Amino acid sequence: MGILNAFKVRMNTLAIVLIPVCIAIDWAGHAVASTLKLPLFLDSIGTVLGGLLAGPWVGGLAGLITNFISSGTVDPIAAPYSVISLAIGIAAGIAGYYGWHKTWPGRVALYILIVLVASIGSTPLNMGLYGGQSGLPFGDSLYAGMVKGGWPTWLASYIDEASGDIPDKLITVVVAIVIFFGLPNRYRALFSVWRRTGDEKAPAPAPSV
Amino acid sequence: MAGGLSLYQEGASLLHRAHPLTKGVLMLSAIALAFIAPSLYWILGIALILLILVIVAGVLRRLIAVALALLLPITVLLLAVQGFANPANHTVLFAIGPVVYYTEGLYIAAIASLRITCLVVATFLFSFTTRPADITEALMQRGLSPAMGYVVQSALQIIPQTLDMAVRIQDAQRSRGLETGGSLPKRARAYIPLMLPLVLSSLVATQERAMALEVRGFGLPVKRTNRYEFADNAIQRITRWALALAVPAAIVARFVGWR
Repeated sequence: MGILNAFKVRMNTLAIVLIPVCIAIDWAGHAVASTLKLPLFLDSIGTVLGGLLAGPWVGGLAGLITNFISSGTVDPIAAPYSVISLAIGIAAGIAGYYGWHKTWPGRVALYILIVLVASIGSTPLNMGLYGGQSGLPFGDSLYAGMVKGGWPTWLASYIDEASGDIPDKLITVVVAIVIFFGLPNRYRALFSVWRRTGDEKAPAPAPSV
Repeated sequence: MAGGLSLYQEGASLLHRAHPLTKGVLMLSAIALAFIAPSLYWILGIALILLILVIVAGVLRRLIAVALALLLPITVLLLAVQGFANPANHTVLFAIGPVVYYTEGLYIAAIASLRITCLVVATFLFSFTTRPADITEALMQRGLSPAMGYVVQSALQIIPQTLDMAVRIQDAQRSRGLETGGSLPKRARAYIPLMLPLVLSSLVATQERAMALEVRGFGLPVKRTNRYEFADNAIQRITRWALALAVPAAIVARFVGWR
C-alpha cells in the first residue's frame, strides 16, 4: 500500500494517446469559457479528468504539456506555471487512485486538494514574477488593499491567488467529475491503467500490446 | 502540420537556420539571466540583445502585434498596484488627493515588467523561428522518448480540431435552444452542455487511434532512425555551452556580490 502505488501504472498505448486528448480538452475548456464570457480560466479540466481516468502520469503530463504548448503559442507567461499544472494532474491522479471522485466527501476533498495545490504552488511564482500579484484585476485589488492595510505580502499574495482559484477549480472539478460519470462504463474501465492491491475488485484490463 | 497553432514563420535568417537546440538553450538562458540579473540596467541590456536578435530574425512586426497585447495589461496592473502598495514604499513620487504614488514601487514594478518582457520576447523569438516538429525531432535525437514526441506533435494537431469541433457543437446546441448569452448564471449553465459532447466524442476517438498506432508498431521497443539531421557546427556547440554555463556563473556572481 501507500501513495506511491498510484504511480505504478502501465503506460500502454491507450494511456499515451489519452494525453494529447486531455491537452485538447484543457484548451477547449478555456476556449468555451471565453466564448461564454465566463470570468474564469477553466483550463485544467482535461488535466483533472486525465488524472482521474488514468492516473498521475497521464494527468501530470497532460498538465505540463498543456502549459508548454500555450507558452509556446499564445502566452509565454504560462511557462513557469507548468509546474503547478503538473502538480494538479498528479494530485488528481492520486485522488483517482484512491477513488475519491466516487463519494461526496471524497469529491469535496478532491476540490480542496486541487485548490490548495494550485494556490500554494502559484504564490511563490507570483511573488517572483509579479511582486506578489496574480495578474487578475479582482485579486490584485484585494492584494493592494491588504498590503496597504499592513498585511504581510506573502499572505496578501496567497489570498490574491486563492480568490481566483477557489471558483475556477470548483467548476473545473465539477465538470471533470460530471464528464467522468458521463462516460460509458467500458471506456472508464479501458483507461484504468493501474494495478490495484488489496480486496478491491480490479477493473477490466486495458488492451495492451 | 500543426499549422493552426504554430507561430512559425518561414524565413532564412541566421536564427531560422540555427539548430533547434541552440535556439532552445538561448531562450532558456536569456529568461534565467533576466530573472537572476540584479538591476534595471542589466535586464534592459538582456532585453535589448533579444530585440536585436528579433530584428535579425525579421519577425519584429509580428512580435509587436502579439507581445503588446500580452504585456500591456500586465505592465499597467503592476505599475498601478506596486506603486501604491508595496511594503518598501516611502519616497513619494506624486500624490492625487489622498492617493500617494511611490518611487520604490515604481522601480519594483519596472523591474518585474521588464523581466516578464524578456520572458515573452525570448519565447516568441523561439516560437517564430522554430517549427514545432523540429523541436520534438531534435529532442528525440537527444534521447526524448518517442512516445513523448508523439504526445506533443499529436496535441498540436488535435487542439485546432477540437476547437473547431467546439464551435460546431456550440452551433448545434444553440439550434436546439441552448442559451449562450444573457446573465452570468445563464451563460454558466450552458458550459456543461457544450463541454460534455465535445469531451465524450474526443475520448471515444482515442481507442481507435491507439489501435491504429499499435498496428504501425508504436509500442515496439526498438531503436528508431532519424527522419533528418539538423545542421550543426562547432560555433553552435560552443554557443550552447557558453549560454548554458552563463546561468550558474550568474548565480555564483550574485552570491559573491553582483549588484
